[in-house]
Amino acid sequence: MDAQRLKDNFAQVAQQGDAVALFFYADLFVRDPSLRDMFPIGMAAQRDKLLNALGHIVSQVDRLPELVPFLQQLGRDHRKFGIEAEHYPKVGASLLATLRYYSGTSWTDQLAEDWGAAYGLAAKVMLEAAEENAQDQPAWWNGKIIAVDRRRFDIAVLRVFPDRPVPYKPGQSVAMEVQGRPRLWRYYSMANAPRPDNTMDFHVRLVDGGPVSTMLVRGVEIGDRVRMGPPVGTLTLDEESGRDILLAAGSTGLAPLKAILEQVARRAEPPRVHLFFGARTRDSLYDLEDLGKLAAGRPWLTVVPAVSDEHVTDVEYGTLSDVVARYGPWTDHDAYLCGPPAMVTHTAERLVHLGLHRDRIRLETFVDRGDR
Amino acid sequence: MNSTNHQVVIAGTVGRLVPGEVQSATFPRAPLGRRGLDEDHVRAFLKQIELDLTQILNERAGLADEVARLRRHVAASSGGELPREDAHIQAVRILAQAQQTADAYVADAERYSRELAGEARRHRQEILADANSRAELILQEAHEKAAIAAGDAARSVPAGPPGTPGDRGDMEREIAYLRTYSDVYRRHLRAYLEALLRNVDEWEQSERRPAPNLPAHPPLPG
Repeated sequence: MDAQRLKDNFAQVAQQGDAVALFFYADLFVRDPSLRDMFPIGMAAQRDKLLNALGHIVSQVDRLPELVPFLQQLGRDHRKFGIEAEHYPKVGASLLATLRYYSGTSWTDQLAEDWGAAYGLAAKVMLEAAEENAQDQPAWWNGKIIAVDRRRFDIAVLRVFPDRPVPYKPGQSVAMEVQGRPRLWRYYSMANAPRPDNTMDFHVRLVDGGPVSTMLVRGVEIGDRVRMGPPVGTLTLDEESGRDILLAAGSTGLAPLKAILEQVARRAEPPRVHLFFGARTRDSLYDLEDLGKLAAGRPWLTVVPAVSDEHVTDVEYGTLSDVVARYGPWTDHDAYLCGPPAMVTHTAERLVHLGLHRDRIRLETFVDRGDR
Repeated sequence: MNSTNHQVVIAGTVGRLVPGEVQSATFPRAPLGRRGLDEDHVRAFLKQIELDLTQILNERAGLADEVARLRRHVAASSGGELPREDAHIQAVRILAQAQQTADAYVADAERYSRELAGEARRHRQEILADANSRAELILQEAHEKAAIAAGDAARSVPAGPPGTPGDRGDMEREIAYLRTYSDVYRRHLRAYLEALLRNVDEWEQSERRPAPNLPAHPPLPG
């Protein structure tokens, strides 16, 4: 297999952009119409994902130590979509047909052979990882919505009861598909530490025009079904650290940090914890009541609400990074940040500027966690 | 016909026998005193061969025509219909086109929903800002009217003995202020609540009208 030949060929094909992925999926669905049902109606985002993944794989094709973990994760990730071993050869056939079609006269038997071998290898790695994963995890968890608390016209807190325990760490998230929006998966963080009754809370903010968040905030009712993928994410508590903790959340970025807070609260001797909860306006601080209850009787916990766009008497005024800075110094703390990208980035930079080491900051933004 | 008297003379070139050659074939006569074949029988037999040969050759030509015709037919029909692979590409193209149409509809729907939501957000903001400033105006008006009433009350009451802590004039002024203040406030509050109730009524009525894309019940004619 000649890696450079594959890269050159892919670079040539990829110049056609979206058309390549469009052709690929159409070819796949002509080959096996039953596969169409595994995808959403709108395929634009799906095509972007395909091209990105292909580009990544091809660019790493001669660096197996980096490529293999990526493929393994890809294989595991695809289980929740219902992808099984029988689907892999069909995908391979369509991939080759697509590459051949867009290579035109530069297509050779040699290229066909190389691509066939490369795909065979990738598929094998993905499948093996998926099969290994299947030994101890279901492809997805079924859940039922058992409570809907609409806190504001665009924010809802949902409680989900899963058909079996989801083994997650506080701070992690799951991809979720909701009844009524089939084949559309979005990531949401669990807002509580694991409970004995296995229920999970999610804080959902309506993204204007977002089909899934709109459904979750305005459309769902008690009893509606959801499906959840395996828990993912690295915004988790550093349990080795004995340092005090700074949590800074913007809007529904509160969810994972609240879960971490609950985890800390279960310790016999919790460290000092500051939780900053920021939004533009006072009525966007949708969870203050709950946070107040949490803080009551817990002298180690300080909750600081802050708004940036209006002056009100009972909360701090300013951007989250400004308010956090006002309460410093934070050099001896571990910081956990979650919220809108700009807010998280600013706060992280501010903390570094104030002398907190970058390694002490764990963060996640909404963009990392899915588009809507 | 044994080889010794097989000196048949056949006109034309050596090669495949044609019917005419059979007909024109001549045979040397048997020498006198030897018994020869009955010439009429030979002639009749040759005639029969000629006929059969003619028929075979005609049939062969007919078959060749038929083959040519079928060849032409095959060539013509495969010119009109695509070979298998092209048909697949054609199907892929049609499906890809359909997908693009679907994508465009989905994108339109999302944009429409985004615009509606944005508009609702702005509208909400305006209503809140309007309510806030209205509330401030009401308070201000109530204060002004109450202050005037208090002034009137103070002037209409003669002052009590100086230094008295519960000075009657002050009390009257205070009472007049509060009474007027609460009157004005109550009046505005009532007007505001009535307006809110009208809003709620309108809201309920509009919600009872089924949305066009999600009819709760099949729409009734008319």
